[in-house]
Amino acid sequence: MTSAWAMRTAQIDDEGTPVLLTFAGHVFEPLPSGALWWAAEQALLVADLHLEKLSSYARRGSLLPPYDTGLTLRRLEVDIERTGAAEVIALGDSFHRDEGTTTLLDADRLQLASLMGRARWTWISGNHDPAPHALGGACVPGLERAGLTLTHEPKRVDALPSPLRGRAGGGGPSRATAPPPPSIPPLKGEGGGGLIAGHLHPAAHIAMNGRSVRRPCFVHDGRVMVLPAYGAATGTLNILSPAFVGLLHWPTLEVAMIGRGRVYPVSPKRLVRGYDAW
Amino acid sequence: MPLRPEITGWFASKGWAPRKHQLSVLEATEAGASALLIAPTGAGKTLAGFLPTLNDLIENPREGLHTLYLSPLKALAVDVHRNLTAPIEEMGLPIKVEARTGDTPSHRRQRQRTSPPHILLTTPEQLALLLSHSDADRMFRGLKRVVLDELHAMVTHKRGELMSLGLARLGTLAPGLRITALSATVARPDLLRDWIASPVPDAEARLLIGEGGARPHIEILRSEERIPWAGHSTLYAIPELYEVIKAHRTTLLFVNTRSQAEMLFQELWAANDELLPIAMHHGSLAVEQRRKVEAAMAEGRLRAVVCTSTLDLGIDWGDVDLVVQVGAPKGASRMLQRIGRANHRLDEPSKALFVPSNRFEVLECEAALEAVERNAQDSEDPVSGGLDVLAQHVLGTACAMPIAPVALYEEIGRAWPYRELSWETFERVVDFVATGGYALRAYERYAKLRKMEDGRFRIAHPGIAQQYRLNIGTIVEEPMVKVRLVRGRGFTRGATTGPIGRGGRVLGEMEEYFFTTLAKGDTFLFGSEIVAFEGMFENEAYVSRSQGKDPKIPSYMGGKFPLSTFLADGVRKLLAHPDEWHLLPDQVSDWLRLQQEASVLPAPESLLVETFPRGAQNYLVCYPFEGRLAHQTLGMLLTRRLERARARPLGFVASDYALAVWGLGDFNALIRTGRLSLDDLFDEDMLGDDLEAWLDESQLMRRTFRNCAIIAGLIERRHPGQKEKTGRQITVSSDIIYDVLYQHEPDHILIQATRRDAARGLLDIERLGHMLARIRRHIVHKPLDRISPLAVPVMLDIGKVPVMGEARESTMAEAAEELIAEAMGIGAEQRKRAN
Repeated sequence: MTSAWAMRTAQIDDEGTPVLLTFAGHVFEPLPSGALWWAAEQALLVADLHLEKLSSYARRGSLLPPYDTGLTLRRLEVDIERTGAAEVIALGDSFHRDEGTTTLLDADRLQLASLMGRARWTWISGNHDPAPHALGGACVPGLERAGLTLTHEPKRVDALPSPLRGRAGGGGPSRATAPPPPSIPPLKGEGGGGLIAGHLHPAAHIAMNGRSVRRPCFVHDGRVMVLPAYGAATGTLNILSPAFVGLLHWPTLEVAMIGRGRVYPVSPKRLVRGYDAW
Repeated sequence: MPLRPEITGWFASKGWAPRKHQLSVLEATEAGASALLIAPTGAGKTLAGFLPTLNDLIENPREGLHTLYLSPLKALAVDVHRNLTAPIEEMGLPIKVEARTGDTPSHRRQRQRTSPPHILLTTPEQLALLLSHSDADRMFRGLKRVVLDELHAMVTHKRGELMSLGLARLGTLAPGLRITALSATVARPDLLRDWIASPVPDAEARLLIGEGGARPHIEILRSEERIPWAGHSTLYAIPELYEVIKAHRTTLLFVNTRSQAEMLFQELWAANDELLPIAMHHGSLAVEQRRKVEAAMAEGRLRAVVCTSTLDLGIDWGDVDLVVQVGAPKGASRMLQRIGRANHRLDEPSKALFVPSNRFEVLECEAALEAVERNAQDSEDPVSGGLDVLAQHVLGTACAMPIAPVALYEEIGRAWPYRELSWETFERVVDFVATGGYALRAYERYAKLRKMEDGRFRIAHPGIAQQYRLNIGTIVEEPMVKVRLVRGRGFTRGATTGPIGRGGRVLGEMEEYFFTTLAKGDTFLFGSEIVAFEGMFENEAYVSRSQGKDPKIPSYMGGKFPLSTFLADGVRKLLAHPDEWHLLPDQVSDWLRLQQEASVLPAPESLLVETFPRGAQNYLVCYPFEGRLAHQTLGMLLTRRLERARARPLGFVASDYALAVWGLGDFNALIRTGRLSLDDLFDEDMLGDDLEAWLDESQLMRRTFRNCAIIAGLIERRHPGQKEKTGRQITVSSDIIYDVLYQHEPDHILIQATRRDAARGLLDIERLGHMLARIRRHIVHKPLDRISPLAVPVMLDIGKVPVMGEARESTMAEAAEELIAEAMGIGAEQRKRAN
């Protein structure tokens, strides 16, 4: 099993120790909020905010608590504060439906405006919110950044450009083969042609010593990375469910689960099919 | 006014005479009073309830609805219909009697509203439905009597809360209304009388106690076999039970859980050399199957039925001559009612047999036997009203006509469970119904109730009434999934994903919740065979036959009912009085004597805490005897506190009697050196911040919230023109709704309703609180160097019942450490050494 998860120390017990991951030659920090911090670009990546999800049911008579938008925005504010992000990239399904941009409560609208005043904002469109809107920032269908593709729906990246594959033993792991020595430094600087997406709301279900736990997670195979859903009112899907089949390359899979205030990289061999993984 | 000759003549023609309590109900009614009749089963209670109606209708013939009968079971309504129609026909009376249930054809239900019978027999849900129509006023205006059956079973449940609100409404619509209630014997009959007096405050309410029947004849099975230390299977007693069944005409065997029913049924059939007709009846069998069993039972074609609480109430089975309670009795009143299922004739004693399935249950059976002989009652008191049920009622009332808040508030105060409702809370409930009741007013334009110029509220559009009627009632079924047997691919390591063979036979249904904890290949007992979980497809669970012998995942989750406080006291007293141990089988009294030598016995007013090492771990075992639910909550809170005391707890297991916590820390040493104080550990302040912190994450709160949200109408069970949602859809979204609401508005009335239910129900916080207060400064600590005899049963449960504990976070941490170790090239061995 490869391990590109680099911990600053091996001590998991230490609260606040960031987990770093190397993906397609770039270093990222997955945050326990579900955001992915890209320090080199000063960019905060978030997927599937699903703002205005619960209020969208009011039309048909379900008056669900209209607080998910506020909770999600507060979570974003903390992340922007903590990372000092200069840029926020939302990877689609930012609104549960296009009309969501018009139903924001005043307080939430102000909060969003204030956040957008603090960082450059890019809205990538998703299947829930395909239409561009006038809230500010850029509305785009997708994005290329530092050799990486940022988009809403993940798709398999089949042919990897040679740099990544060609450096086995030297710089980077040849992920389909035996585990590399753990001391290999992370890839730096080169775009590996990777793709970062959301859409699937990944969760990992692991079992160990007779106990099991299921949490949202970051998952990647070195070529495709799927971010967990960031929104306060989003559900999850087990990464062993059919939606992920054919998308990720299992032998090189890496998984980081979201815990209470921290992220835990876990071994994929601990993954189990739970209730919904069929 | 005396009985009319038509009625006395009918009694005479049967060779009967009206019983005293039947006449006293008549007398009370004629005197313009409401009445609560408490009498054992078989006392002719039902006829007692209807005699005043027949008498009045003969005296004063009239059209329109005269008497409304409400029963907790629709089967009972149908049965009473049959039993009432016969005498009315034999007396030649022109009195119309009709039943109304969910199964009644819609054209007849429609007609019952416009042209009601004299006597309508129905359920509380149907009453709520009738009251939500704009013609309710006309239908009920002339109503003179309400007859409530099995009131004792209703008042401890949300259905009773809904019914109380319906009665308060009827009290307004029908000013001449009087209530007659029928109940089994309860601990506090005065409370039940107040309950029925409340909706008609001007009338007196009489308490009528029927003559008791012959005292039941009860024995505890004196087995020749060894009584197990722990477990719930009662396998040791199967041959003896089979002999008992053979020796009786019809035996009802009550157990506490479905899995016990399945196990017992399977084992009885394995021993059934003579192929006696033995059947099984429990809540997750298909309805048709249950009806078949009931019919066969009524026709006297069965020799035995293994059943759960599904047969606690219901129609009379005349032929049952023995009731067997297999496993813990749990409560004295419950036992008396179950025993009453045998021999519904007053003058003959009912016959019952208690069969304990382990040693602690021997003590519990002994305590129950003593209680039943003294006719002691420990039934639950009526509950105060939930805000979720109130919200449903407020909307229902508004569906019938615009509501005037002050008048409605006063009316609701006449429902006993809501007698202490404050105006502020009432306003918040109305606001919840109208717009969701959120502090952040987001939904004014979607409001379900709109304020009219005169200050009254009306529903915004007729669709709301339609939607309300589809979602009426307080019974929220636990979401179930069908369990289908498929040919397994076998749980082979590395098996690839792919379609599972479909189309196998349906074995039955099981709570969806159970499957959320399973991983593929996990084995469990279902329908008396061991099966392996293969997967889910839509809302079916696929399982295959398993070669394994022992199921890996325990499906024994304990019964719904915890050990009653009363019986717990009995058990504690028995333990503390060695002079009474001669009542016990030798193997049990020997066990207690061993405990006396090796440790000490728990005293009635203190809490015994034993600590001892075993293997690589240390154990803390305490004996509160407060029931499994309170112990689970205690276990959750203790592990949190032990964590803080750096005692490194790993998990715990709770039984009805004891709680065992284990961990890596040396409990003995920690206590000896004063680094851990048991008085602090068990301090009542655990019900403060620690409880709050735990509730934040507790899955039990989420499950409880789901029920409240459905009853209150926040989450719909059904939507017009849409088939029922599958449980999974509801479960997922209700968790999210709870999280969002709890984080942002923790004092929302639905969260309040959830807390109330959790405190009483799955968490049993009330009882835990009483216990902690009782044992404060009365903790007896016994450090031991090894396990004590009394600790053996709960220790044996480890691995058999689900291990509790907050393993979630630590599981991820362990998995992460493992990954790092792997990456560092450290093997498992080295890691152990490093630790």
